[in-house]
Amino acid sequence: MSKTKKVCIAFAAATMGFALTAVAAIDPIEKRSEIMKGVGKAAKPVGKMFKGESDYDAAVVAESLQTWKEAAMRFGRLFPEGTESGGDTEAAPAIWEDRAGFEEALKEFLGAVNAAIEADPQTLDAAKPTVGPVFKTCKGCHDNYRIKKD
Amino acid sequence: MGRLAAYGVALLAVGAALAWWLTAPQPFAADYLPEHTADAAAGEQIFWAGGCASCHATPVDGKRAKGDGKFRLGGGLELDTPYGVFRVPNISSHPQDGIGSWTMLQFVNAMQRGVSPGGQHYYPAFPYTSYARMPVTDVMDLKAYLDTLPAIAGVIDDHALGFPWKVRRGLGLWKRRYLTAEPVLAVTGDDSDTLRRGQLLVEGAGHCGECHTPRDDFGGLDPTRWLAGAPNPDGPGRIPNITPAGKGVSEWSAGDISYYLEAGFTPDFDSVGGSMVAVQENMAQLTPEDREAIAAYLKAIPAVP
Repeated sequence: MSKTKKVCIAFAAATMGFALTAVAAIDPIEKRSEIMKGVGKAAKPVGKMFKGESDYDAAVVAESLQTWKEAAMRFGRLFPEGTESGGDTEAAPAIWEDRAGFEEALKEFLGAVNAAIEADPQTLDAAKPTVGPVFKTCKGCHDNYRIKKD
Repeated sequence: MGRLAAYGVALLAVGAALAWWLTAPQPFAADYLPEHTADAAAGEQIFWAGGCASCHATPVDGKRAKGDGKFRLGGGLELDTPYGVFRVPNISSHPQDGIGSWTMLQFVNAMQRGVSPGGQHYYPAFPYTSYARMPVTDVMDLKAYLDTLPAIAGVIDDHALGFPWKVRRGLGLWKRRYLTAEPVLAVTGDDSDTLRRGQLLVEGAGHCGECHTPRDDFGGLDPTRWLAGAPNPDGPGRIPNITPAGKGVSEWSAGDISYYLEAGFTPDFDSVGGSMVAVQENMAQLTPEDREAIAAYLKAIPAVP
């Protein structure tokens, strides 16, 4: 084996090791909490429109819907065994005891988001029956699968 | 028998008689009820304010009932507590298995004195210590409404409690200390009609204190820490402080509180969670004025950090 080859292999191995470390370093508790905070942040401007506290803005609604869609698709993968507690997690034990129910609740969230994206509402009156159901799915998950720590 | 022994026996008998008297159930007298034509429509509002369905609706597939399932009050939910397992009874209109054949007085005695038609104490897992503060006419309206809901067959098994809790008679003493129709707080203010309405809803039918107020060593609510937050009876986590010292009420306007009860969202659009979801869904059925009254009361009570 030439010296160059050896250096290459060593370099490749080091890169892979680094990459693996980086993958392992993703903390599911931190990540899922970050995602859920993003969901809340996206909900606030839309909620204000629904409450009549600000004017309807279809672009902002569309952006929030995309945030929620991404969250709904990633979120369910971030609750591996061993992350039941730790950090500031508000995850309830029910997520691990009733995984099917948890997945089902997330599916409802994603389904409602997809339907709203499809509808692409341009006015508040159009948004109420299409985006409104997305808001209803929040508590559909938070009733059983989240613990409030206050 | 020696004289001393005779005294001893007499003393024991007196003590037993005293204990028996102290622990006796105290139902209302037969002529207690006022003249009132019970109104089922008004009773429906009490049904939502009181959250009857949150415990008494028969669970579906192990989960709390939703939609029309909330009108099927066949019981069956199990409450796993440090005292043992409480099994929520059937209060549907079924004449044998439910409470359909109860008289009005029997119903009022259950709700406000914690006494069954058979003359036994109920456990305070049934929050009659709160319901005792309701106007009796509201309780009568509630019965008229419950009578309109479906009859569900099936008797629920009795509670499975440890000693000494399984001795129902002992609850007589507990009630002497904790059961009163007196309001928790003296509430006055410029807007006193609204405040008083809020007080009736929070301290009475709504029984908010049962979860939001910590309990003392005997399982009674600690009035000095009224609504100041408590451990979650369902498991990990905490039930939040809803006095003006708590994070929610201090930072939210009265309008924010009403909106939370109506729509289930905080001002930051975080959603309602845990057992409060069922409560919020009930509160959403109240009139806007009633939700505003609850908010006004929560804003007016003493801040307990």
